[in-house]
Amino acid sequence: MKIIAVTACPTGIAHTYMAAAALQKAAISLGHAIKVETQGSIGIENKITLKEVDEADLVILAADVAIKEEVRFKNKFVYRTESQKAIKNPKALITEALTQLSENNK
Amino acid sequence: MNEELKNIRQYLMTGVSYMIPIVVIGGVLIALAIALSGVEAGKGAVVTNPIFKNMLDIGVAAFSMMVPVLAGFIAYGIADRPGIAPGLVGGVLAANLKAGFLGGIVAGFIAGYVARWIKGWQVPLNLKPIMPIFVIPLLSALIVGGLMIYVVGTPIAGLMEAMTSGLKAMGQGNAILLSLVMGAMIAFDMGGPVNKVAFMFGVVMIGEGVYTVMGPVAVAICIPPLGMGLATLLAPKKYSEMEREAGYGALAMGMIGITEGAIPFAAGDPIRVIPSIVVGSAIGAAVAAMFGVGDHAPHGGPIVLPVVDNPFMFIVAILIGVGITAVMVNILKKPVHEELDSDGTGIGA
Repeated sequence: MKIIAVTACPTGIAHTYMAAAALQKAAISLGHAIKVETQGSIGIENKITLKEVDEADLVILAADVAIKEEVRFKNKFVYRTESQKAIKNPKALITEALTQLSENNK
Repeated sequence: MNEELKNIRQYLMTGVSYMIPIVVIGGVLIALAIALSGVEAGKGAVVTNPIFKNMLDIGVAAFSMMVPVLAGFIAYGIADRPGIAPGLVGGVLAANLKAGFLGGIVAGFIAGYVARWIKGWQVPLNLKPIMPIFVIPLLSALIVGGLMIYVVGTPIAGLMEAMTSGLKAMGQGNAILLSLVMGAMIAFDMGGPVNKVAFMFGVVMIGEGVYTVMGPVAVAICIPPLGMGLATLLAPKKYSEMEREAGYGALAMGMIGITEGAIPFAAGDPIRVIPSIVVGSAIGAAVAAMFGVGDHAPHGGPIVLPVVDNPFMFIVAILIGVGITAVMVNILKKPVHEELDSDGTGIGA
């Protein structure tokens, strides 16, 4: 599976990046390809391109604030959650998102 | 319903997250300009040196944008781009009407929902281009502006006035009680939603010229990571190797006021860690309140020392809280056997 994710938290200095690291690690250990865009107080980093959006199977938004350029994902299946859930149990989060994705595709 | 409540928190946090850098500019520059100029007896702060005076003006300029930015980006969270303009306008009106941050929050929500509502109108195709450049901004600004001026502005200004003067004149007992609660909230979820509510309250009160709410909050912010870091140094046998390493990271994060440094410990052993950091932060904040510690920056930890009122007691309050957290968690913890620690330490990655 190709996963793309965006993380963002209110202060944008810690949770954003902890969530990104956690998702990255969990996805790889579950055998998925992932790219995580961070929207911290510094702005957008590791930006997801439109081509990557096209190719992705699943979009995960782990954000406590409104994210920038959400319109990119409007034709995709989007799983929404909070940054803290991604930090605490990223594997369960990805599994749950994939379950919802496959139910959605039925 | 529950879903919309969750969204409301997200909208509010969006506004706060864009407002924070503005509060940093205003709070820090104003505090520094005054601190460097010194205070003349009987006259309060007098900034005469032209360079410091300009510094003060830069800070004041930032503060004058605080409420509009809060309102503008709450509306952005709700309605995306079309929300920003009416939100900023509503926010300036709120500031002019002396409705403060409460007025800004109300203006932001009105602007956001109105802009989102108009955005959703089904209009004939040839009218579509004029929607985002004329109809949405003009109509939403008129609605939010009218409501602010004729309906909600004045009562909110009254409420703000009562609240700030109440906080300024608050007796010591109430101040300590408030700080106990705020300190506990800061530590409870270490940067999560409960923490952010207390943090946000401290930040907006800086904008209202009340620094003694943020002072105790700034103390509470750094106690969980510093306390846990100290705990690993005091009783290394009670922590796994990974936790001991996280301990150094937590100390560094605590110094720069990042509460999240305590998360690896709390995630691994919430039952023992969370009560310890909550008690430490609550007591540290209460000590700070007892001695009128104030903070002019929307941030916590020793890093804000240059813009703290009563820096000596600020440090003392931190040390007391850190000590309590470290001792309490080490009393509660049992020594670990690393080989049993099969699923790691619960570090959230």
